[in-house]
Amino acid sequence: MNWLRKEVGPVFHKEFLDAIRDRRSLMSALLFPLFAPLMINVLFGTIAARERGAEDLVFPVKGAEHAPGLVAWIERANHEVTAAEGDLFEAVREGELELAVWIDSTYAEAFSEGRPASVKLIVDGSKTEIAPLVRRAREVIRGYADQISTLRLIARGVSGDARTPVTIEEIDLATAQQRSAVFLGFIPLFIIMAAFISGMNVAIDTTAGERERGSLEPLLINPISRNSIVIGKWLVTVVFSSVGIILVLSTTVLALQWMSLEDLGVRLDIGGAELVGVLAGTVPLAFLASGIQLLVSTFARSFKEAQVYINLLIFVPLIPGIIASVSSLPTDTWTVLVPAMAQQVLLTQVMGGENPGLPSFLLAGLSSMVLGVICIVLTAWLFRHERIVFGET
Amino acid sequence: MIEVRGGAHPATALLRFAVGAGDPAAVMIEVRGIHKRFGDVVAVDDVSFVAQDGAVTGLLGPNGAGKSTSLRVLYGLLETDRGRVLVDGVDVTHRPQEAQCRMGVLPDAQGLYVRLTAREHLRYFGRLQGLSGPVLERNIDELVERLDMGSIIDRRVQGFSHGERVKVAVGRALVHRPRNMLLDEPTNGLDVASTRAMRQLIREMRSDGTCVVFSSHIMQEVSALCDRIVIISAGRVVAEGTPDEILAQSGLSSLEDAFVTLTGIDEVRV
Repeated sequence: MNWLRKEVGPVFHKEFLDAIRDRRSLMSALLFPLFAPLMINVLFGTIAARERGAEDLVFPVKGAEHAPGLVAWIERANHEVTAAEGDLFEAVREGELELAVWIDSTYAEAFSEGRPASVKLIVDGSKTEIAPLVRRAREVIRGYADQISTLRLIARGVSGDARTPVTIEEIDLATAQQRSAVFLGFIPLFIIMAAFISGMNVAIDTTAGERERGSLEPLLINPISRNSIVIGKWLVTVVFSSVGIILVLSTTVLALQWMSLEDLGVRLDIGGAELVGVLAGTVPLAFLASGIQLLVSTFARSFKEAQVYINLLIFVPLIPGIIASVSSLPTDTWTVLVPAMAQQVLLTQVMGGENPGLPSFLLAGLSSMVLGVICIVLTAWLFRHERIVFGET
Repeated sequence: MIEVRGGAHPATALLRFAVGAGDPAAVMIEVRGIHKRFGDVVAVDDVSFVAQDGAVTGLLGPNGAGKSTSLRVLYGLLETDRGRVLVDGVDVTHRPQEAQCRMGVLPDAQGLYVRLTAREHLRYFGRLQGLSGPVLERNIDELVERLDMGSIIDRRVQGFSHGERVKVAVGRALVHRPRNMLLDEPTNGLDVASTRAMRQLIREMRSDGTCVVFSSHIMQEVSALCDRIVIISAGRVVAEGTPDEILAQSGLSSLEDAFVTLTGIDEVRV
């Protein structure tokens, strides 16, 4: 304990002071956690608006007088019908209208003769954001067609059931929370990224940066062990990284509560017990992220080289998340021992309404911690090498 | 006594050892046959010298002669392949931290932390030396006075002139009041006024009884300041003694001629 106070203490204090005065270090710790919920907000906002928008569509119709039945059907389904004039193709292409319906004079004749009557639904398929609207519009018109065909069959003395020899009944077994977990799948990704981004600059600055500025040699002349120096630098990086994780966690939870998730049929129930577990399982990731980053930037020959390595390194812990976005991750016991994958799996479970239990969280935290310590032992070992201390000599 | 070293001198080494063991205060820094190899290159080859208390010892040699490497071995950042260094009788290889407590070092690399103030630099290094509280603050106040840092002490180092930066670097080396001071080319890149101030500081340290070792490739500087000169060339000590002794030994009339002849740099030039 005395050693902590006398040797690690001064290094920690100085590096912390230095880091919070460094705009670059502060930005990388604070900017991303603020940016993450903003992204969630924008993303969810647009999804929600789109879903809401599809509920009550506006149908700009040209030639409504040719198909009063269809227009009445649309209005009965609570959608608005407006009169559209002029060049509909141009209006949709230019984005003045999201979609348009064009009914020409042949419609009434074909309809009354019982031939297929043509309704033109004009859309711009390159605009993916209006795809749900188009789908909804198509369903409304098809609904009208279905009803008419059933009526015509009945008029000919045939049961309407003849039209539907097979019906599809889709039974979705996913709970509302599991569906929402798909939506929320990128939150673990954000947290893992926060662990690696928030301390990144501190890690580089205190090692490769210190050597490049020529302050490493004067530092090492002092009568304290290299281990103490490395541990002091590590702990400051861990503080920045943990702050990043905790900020992302709290800002996303706040953002999600503030947004109307119900619009999406998404429900998020995170209680106190889960929150403690999540913290116990994810914050130790900071120890690992900081450890790897210190090791790599100590090894690098220059500040720039360290930056390149560390930027590439961010992608490694994202691999489980990327796999998770296209298929499911295994949920065997061993997965909680693999850092990053463990956090991905556990957080996905929590957001799916399951509580993986404290032991799982603790194991996940412990494995990150142990690997972080191993990285720091290796970094301290590197610090005893003349090539590392003096750079190229 | 003039010593010219072509190799190991077991007899003088033994004698020194006896003196050092009997009266450690008499010999502050003692270098015995250190040797440093980087790959195939021998940077320091069997260098020995003694630096006394209250005296300035100059390591003189052309660039690349092994002065910095020798000093790095002295202050414990490079491990010697063989031989040993004793600081106040403490072996640098075996008890580096204890030896480092007794030394103040102004290394070739004088990097500072641009976001810290001068005072924060001194405080950091003081704490690394195990000082704290009123003792540390008093030492800092003394240094502010001695190095005339009053106007810059609470400013961040960003934007300091070269001379001001050197003051901070010297200050942090002296904050624990070491009895031994090692300076690696301390006047490099300084303007006239700062060079004079640095020389004055070295003289003051000598009169305080500090053991000062500094390296330089400038003959005039060494002859102006040093009580003893150790001339190093190609990693070896080619002459050691007072300026007069070195003159007598070389048989030449000026120190500059002696330096050129002993280091063999005139042969290289031709």
